[in-house]
Amino acid sequence: MSFHVVNPTATEPQLAAFADPLALAYCKALSHALLHEPTARPHSDLIALGYWLRPANIERILSPYRDFGLRPLGHVFHAAPGNVDSLFVYSGILSVLCGNLNTIRLSDKAGGSAEVLCGLVQNLATNHPEVSGRFQIIRSNRDAAELIQLQKHIDGRVLWGSNEGIQALRQRPIPAHARELTFANKLSFAVISSKAVITAKPNELQQLAINFARDNLTFAQQACSSAKVIVWRGEKENTAQAKQLFWQALSTFLISDEGQSKYPLTESEHYRALNNAQDLVMAGIVSRVQTCGGYIRVAGKGLHQTLVNSHQGCGLFVEVAITELEELTSELTAEHQTMSYWGISEMEVSNWLRTCLIGIDRAVPIGKALDFNVVWDGIDLIRAFSRQL
Amino acid sequence: MPANLLEASPYGVPMAEKTPLLLEGLQALSKHHQHHCLAYQRLLGSEAGLYKQLSELPFLTVPLFKQRQLKSISEGDVFKVLTSSGTTGTVPSRIYLDAETAKLQSRVLVKIMQEWLGKQRLPMLIWDSPNVIQNRTSFSARGAGIQGLSFLGRYHTYALNDDMSLNIPAIEAFFERFGSEPVFMFGFTFMVWKFGLQALKDQGFRFNFQNAVLIHSGGWKKLEDEAVSANTFNTTAKAMLGQLRVHNFYGMVEQVGSIFVACEEGHLHCPSYADVLVREPGSWQVQAHGQAGVLQVLSLLPRSYPGHSLLTEDRGRILGEDNCACGRKGKYFEVLGRMAKVEARGCSDTFDGSGSTTGAAE
Repeated sequence: MSFHVVNPTATEPQLAAFADPLALAYCKALSHALLHEPTARPHSDLIALGYWLRPANIERILSPYRDFGLRPLGHVFHAAPGNVDSLFVYSGILSVLCGNLNTIRLSDKAGGSAEVLCGLVQNLATNHPEVSGRFQIIRSNRDAAELIQLQKHIDGRVLWGSNEGIQALRQRPIPAHARELTFANKLSFAVISSKAVITAKPNELQQLAINFARDNLTFAQQACSSAKVIVWRGEKENTAQAKQLFWQALSTFLISDEGQSKYPLTESEHYRALNNAQDLVMAGIVSRVQTCGGYIRVAGKGLHQTLVNSHQGCGLFVEVAITELEELTSELTAEHQTMSYWGISEMEVSNWLRTCLIGIDRAVPIGKALDFNVVWDGIDLIRAFSRQL
Repeated sequence: MPANLLEASPYGVPMAEKTPLLLEGLQALSKHHQHHCLAYQRLLGSEAGLYKQLSELPFLTVPLFKQRQLKSISEGDVFKVLTSSGTTGTVPSRIYLDAETAKLQSRVLVKIMQEWLGKQRLPMLIWDSPNVIQNRTSFSARGAGIQGLSFLGRYHTYALNDDMSLNIPAIEAFFERFGSEPVFMFGFTFMVWKFGLQALKDQGFRFNFQNAVLIHSGGWKKLEDEAVSANTFNTTAKAMLGQLRVHNFYGMVEQVGSIFVACEEGHLHCPSYADVLVREPGSWQVQAHGQAGVLQVLSLLPRSYPGHSLLTEDRGRILGEDNCACGRKGKYFEVLGRMAKVEARGCSDTFDGSGSTTGAAE
């Protein structure tokens, strides 16, 4: 693969001020394209991105930063992850809004919705040459000479990906003053209150199943913020009953037409999940494989850091039971990212998190695990992409 | 009714007699491996191991033999290790045989093949190069296949040179000596096609063997890419080599004893010692005959390692049982190719390595 720019422009790109009007117009145009383009419709991540890019939302994100006198960092290189096709737009666009010049390398594995996105971004190049020039998407080998050369002159580098991938990309020198942000592979988990499940009305349980599927089965459970472990919080008797109710609700949703069309796993993804489950059982990390149609359950003992690299998604859920959140505290590591929760109050979660000095970068209700937050892995991206006077 | 399936003829036992014996044997194997292989024990958990039907038997996914060392014998009892050829860059499967399992494997192989070759050891023409069996400590699937079938033949002649070019003098000498009597030819499907039949055609050679059997195996994937059907393969083989009966067989290094040979009707047949089930991906429930799904293979042979019930990565369909037009008893089926692979996405994204195996450091 050679070095190929997806959206080339004839104009020489220039740095811009924070929340530059041209950049805002670009966001609006991209949002419009995503929400109206028929090819984008089947991709729920693109629809979500379309909503995120709407002027009102962008303004809501930017307004808290307007008074800080933020200035651009300069030229930022982003290595996009391959597991979440549209993620590169979120970090790339934030950096554009900070006024930076951006070069974004797409993963070789990026496909599906990334292809659709590239098409839309390409279409915008003619009418938005200035901003397109600041938002250059490239496809190339990781070791392409152009890419190595480019990195020698950047002011910031953003690396998303696996630990090995990040370490490999880090071998390329960048200027001494350049800033580097890394977003490595992390493990996320969901906490569900057993008691709340038992007392939930049928429609509440159904909504939980829908939200759970959205968080954890979009991108075939490969997103870092998708839960791999389900923690049941409650008394033993309640948990047994809650599990039954919850998984039944999830199965019902997944075999419905909506569930089938939104979260299709391929034959080989199903196979991979089963193989992964058997391998983890044989390794002694989890026990008891239960195949339930669209997903697989295994019993675990804790938040197991080893799962960060050994769990491959595709609808495999490790179940753990606790009676109090405090039981998780000692198991948290820097590799635990998103905690999604249901049936537990925000107050209780934040009170507990205040006592945790290690691990967990964000806590969100189930259904919001995939939402993009400006603060990601504990880093305020707008500040990280800017210099404060 | 045979008391022991391993003693039975390969295609002579009808379902009513076979199923209970097979179930009993496989159940005993499950119990055996539960006691002798820790990883297998972990997978079965506290399961009592009383299965009422074949479909209840637990099964292992085939990549496990790449991911971990699975055996039910001590290191000292390892007699030989079979490895899968695997594509470049992937870890091969490792299958551990003790002397007993290896002996059983040879015995069953002979029984099955005699059905297609007759009891005489025939002059054997191998459509491969001699260096494929040179490394005897670690048998590649190709090497092991050739090695395994070699003792069904005599006067072994390799039709290809080490660089995979045709060894015309060797083929001519073999033909001159045995061309008018029964001969046995063996090779891997793609090798026979590409370096054998195609090369003969390109170089304008033809041989008119009077009575040959060509047995070949190894999957159709590469041939399908070149749009070569079983029919084209067979027709071309006859055009290039003369009076020839062609039999494809399906099998895998991970399950010794499972050799499913295609009959005159083109149907793959289960021998008395093995069986197949078809499962629906996802639910993994057994499918009715005629429904396509993922093939599960069962064999009475694997005693030194827990490979008696495996979920393959191949798709297939059962065509019938005990009633094939060829007259052989047992289940018969067809293979519909590999499941379509998806890219391992994970977070191993910005890195260009193709790591999909658990925990394998790149």
